[in-house]
Amino acid sequence: MEFLIASAVGMMTMAGIYLVLRGHTFPVVLGLALLSYAVNVFLFAMGRLAIGQQPVIDAAATGYTDPLPQALVLTAIVISFGMTAVIVVMALRAYLESERDTVDLGEEEPPGGGAQQ
Amino acid sequence: MLTALFAIAVSALLAPALSARMDDRAGWFLALAPLGAFAWFVSCIPTVAVGGVVTESIAWVPALGIDVAMRLDGLSLLFALLITGIGTLIVLYAGAYLSDHHHLGRFYAYLLVFMMAMLGLVLADDLIAMFVFWELTSVASFLLIAFQHEKSVSRRAALQALLITGGGGLALLAGLVLLGIAGEAWRFSELDVAAVEAHGLYYGIMVLVLIGCFTKSAQIPFHLWLPNAMNAPTPVSAYLHSATMVKAGVYLLARLNPVMGGEGGWSDVLVLVGASTAVVGAVLAIRQTDLKRLLAYTTVTVLGQLTMLIGTNTTYGLQAFVLFLLAHSLYKGALFMAVGAVDHATGTRELAKLGGLIRFMPLTGAAVALAAFSNAGLPPFFGFIAKEFAYAGLIEMGVTGWIVTAVMVVTNALLLAAAGLVFIRTFLGARGHYPREPHEVPMPMWLGPMLLAIGGFVLGAWHHWPETWLINAAVQAVARGAVDVNLYLWGGVTPAVVASLLTVGLGVLFYGFRHAVRRHIARWRVFWGVSGDLIWDRLLKRLFRFAGMLASGWQHGSLRLHLILLGLVLSSTVFVGLGVGGEPLLGAGAHPAGAVSPLSLPGVVGCLLALAGAGAAAVMRGRLALVTALGASGLGLALFFLAVNAPDVATTQLMVETLTVVFLALVLRKLPSIPGAAPEGRGARATHLLVSVFFGAAVALALIVAVNLPLAGNISEWYLQNSYPGGKGGNVVNVILVDFRAFDTLGEIVVVALAALAAATLLGGGEHTEMTRRGQPEFDSVLLRQAVRPLAGLLVLVSLVLLWRGHNLPGGGFIGGLVAATGFILVVLTFGNYPARALMRLRPTLLVGAGLSCAVGAGLLGLMAGEPFLTGLWIFPLGLPLGTPLLFDMGVFLTVFGSVMHMMQRIAGRAT
Repeated sequence: MEFLIASAVGMMTMAGIYLVLRGHTFPVVLGLALLSYAVNVFLFAMGRLAIGQQPVIDAAATGYTDPLPQALVLTAIVISFGMTAVIVVMALRAYLESERDTVDLGEEEPPGGGAQQ
Repeated sequence: MLTALFAIAVSALLAPALSARMDDRAGWFLALAPLGAFAWFVSCIPTVAVGGVVTESIAWVPALGIDVAMRLDGLSLLFALLITGIGTLIVLYAGAYLSDHHHLGRFYAYLLVFMMAMLGLVLADDLIAMFVFWELTSVASFLLIAFQHEKSVSRRAALQALLITGGGGLALLAGLVLLGIAGEAWRFSELDVAAVEAHGLYYGIMVLVLIGCFTKSAQIPFHLWLPNAMNAPTPVSAYLHSATMVKAGVYLLARLNPVMGGEGGWSDVLVLVGASTAVVGAVLAIRQTDLKRLLAYTTVTVLGQLTMLIGTNTTYGLQAFVLFLLAHSLYKGALFMAVGAVDHATGTRELAKLGGLIRFMPLTGAAVALAAFSNAGLPPFFGFIAKEFAYAGLIEMGVTGWIVTAVMVVTNALLLAAAGLVFIRTFLGARGHYPREPHEVPMPMWLGPMLLAIGGFVLGAWHHWPETWLINAAVQAVARGAVDVNLYLWGGVTPAVVASLLTVGLGVLFYGFRHAVRRHIARWRVFWGVSGDLIWDRLLKRLFRFAGMLASGWQHGSLRLHLILLGLVLSSTVFVGLGVGGEPLLGAGAHPAGAVSPLSLPGVVGCLLALAGAGAAAVMRGRLALVTALGASGLGLALFFLAVNAPDVATTQLMVETLTVVFLALVLRKLPSIPGAAPEGRGARATHLLVSVFFGAAVALALIVAVNLPLAGNISEWYLQNSYPGGKGGNVVNVILVDFRAFDTLGEIVVVALAALAAATLLGGGEHTEMTRRGQPEFDSVLLRQAVRPLAGLLVLVSLVLLWRGHNLPGGGFIGGLVAATGFILVVLTFGNYPARALMRLRPTLLVGAGLSCAVGAGLLGLMAGEPFLTGLWIFPLGLPLGTPLLFDMGVFLTVFGSVMHMMQRIAGRAT
């Protein structure tokens, strides 16, 4: 399980960085979202993985999962949603104002050019 | 002493308001603080004169052993008296001088701040506290020089002064820290002299400290800034740039003389630099035609002589240092103020236009006459004794002393000629051509110069007073051993007297043939080409060009290049760290935590889904496909969280994933399509791929190694044990969120609320756009309408249940809010925005506000009960546990729900 989740995190990081390195804003935003997923899971895994243990206080329980990373990650997920929403809107607004959608300054493009789905 | 500092600081704060109310009368009130301090210091004279010290201290940074420690000994007392005494006169003078300036209040504030800093500097015993005050004087000086900031000359001069003294300050800080380490103490009074002298970094310390002192006291080659600083209003020049601040460097040299002044070359450097400064200053002074600049250069000369006198380290030399310091502050302060008065009265400071002023300004003229006599070093003025002792001190040094004495005779003769220029040329002789009809200045403007000038006369004529009460104690503080102090006006025909006579003779000659002297000096063109501001300007230009080169190399404006660099460095660090650390990989270690947790079906599926989703996201080109891949990845994670028994996290992830996909899809649908990824070069893509693979591998490896190690500490145990007894809840995650760490959560929901507001604002539109879009649904399908109605209702019901049971079972405010938002969004998508708004009745922003109020209110209840903010309080009506954490959770629910709704409605209501 550890190996599997580590690969998933590695893959998400890789895809995230790759997307962030794209020249246009939309992939960059999604790349950031993927990176935040990876960070959340990484954080969660720091509490170690526990299969078959109780998350809630129970008289019959033999052991519990670590609640602290869970609490941290829970709020982190909600906040990363907020962050994704803000940057995607910001990117769109920037495009509407400047008619440019490139991440780097040097890469000018003709206004409104190259529209494709 | 601290009270004195405090009182002056308070009057600085009051100054602007007071000045606005009372115009130029404010000065009389503001002068009370320095006057009171002056009186207090006078009352300390008897204690200090017999060798006592007054100390005060308050802890400042106890962890580092830094205190605001004050220590009043002879040297400090002398300076403190000068600062507060002249300061009082200057405050009065400034009120009259700048009476018609609209920023007089600000000027007072700066001036008093400076006074406070300067006083702190000379009183501080702690090395670091002294340094802080030191820098504060530089800053205050910057503000004061730039007071007439409309003039570009003032701004340039202020910046130059700040850069030079500030740069020196940096060196000084390093020097002081090293000194503290070497001397094994952070107090000037406790430094271990033997340890400092034996320390390996002795020369390093010396150089650093000397740079600091030389920049502050305008020694060669740092003297540039002082004459330029004369662009400040005259009270500033009189106070900062002749009587007090520029002497801070000299003060520190004197203060450290007992510690550093051994056989290590300290004396030689001081004598050499001081003597050269004195000569250059005197030669430049005689060239000036502007009275104020002339005085500025004579100040440079005097500062050089003072530095040199400390360097002599002889009985006479040190006495001369203290005498000269006092004498100079008195006469130069007086002369500056008088020149300001002349400027004020006639509108010019050019020597060529002045003359015969004594008829119009008798009082100022008298003050200048007295001060100029002291300046010229004529008996029985105080300046004479100072000069006499200086010669005696130099002659004591032997052969070098003789050479320096010869140089000094010429320098002092030039000073005498300069003093003659100031008095004779300005006040005597034929009437000049003034731009304005001159008049005697108001009382506050002649009072200062007069008092100071008379002081110079009285101290000289009755020299046993200062000897007993001031000079003795100050000299003892500067000297390495005990020094016998005995002042006299006439000590028989000694070499010093001969030198004095020579000086006067030469000085009169210089004055008589001043035009010839100037002509001769003007011939050394090479010399003028080198000195001056030119070098400074070129230096700055080069510096800026260098900085520009450096910055544009790194700040290339490409986010991607930054990221690539960052990614490579970070992943290499991880790889190297793991290699060096040699931690075993998963399963290979002997740690009990190294045991691999078993696979479970949902876990495996979840991980694979996340993996595949991420991989697809990297490969896909279309934007909707990208969103879908992201969604798949998120869903996989939700499954994984469920598999490792984290139901709360899993539900949150699920809900957020849904909302993210809906939001992104809406964004794509509602707004003009933006260009997709433009085709990029193959090489660039390959590099990017390489960097991302490298980085992903590093993260994966770090994770594997990290989970293999045992957990350090056991914080969670505490939460598990206290959750039920303390937090009255079985769902530990929720109890942590709403009780144990509720403050964090409060911050987080504020972030969520702000993010929603920001996103909605950026989307633009607002109320009326939403209204015009009434009733236009996203999916117009009858089937969907019929199905969604009960489903949405059910979701809202479920969310309320989740909220209620969250404290004991999986659920809670975050999850509830997200579920409710999902329900309402279904309504928005199916029936359109307007019906959804009508259904909800309340505006989302109102919900956000209500939620945040709920959460804060829950915290305040705890505060009202006398407990810390956000303490949980519980009541049990009918056995039902009700507490403030539940109220807090409700606040979380409302905030999350409101925030999500606000964003979603805004995007759904936006015109395409």
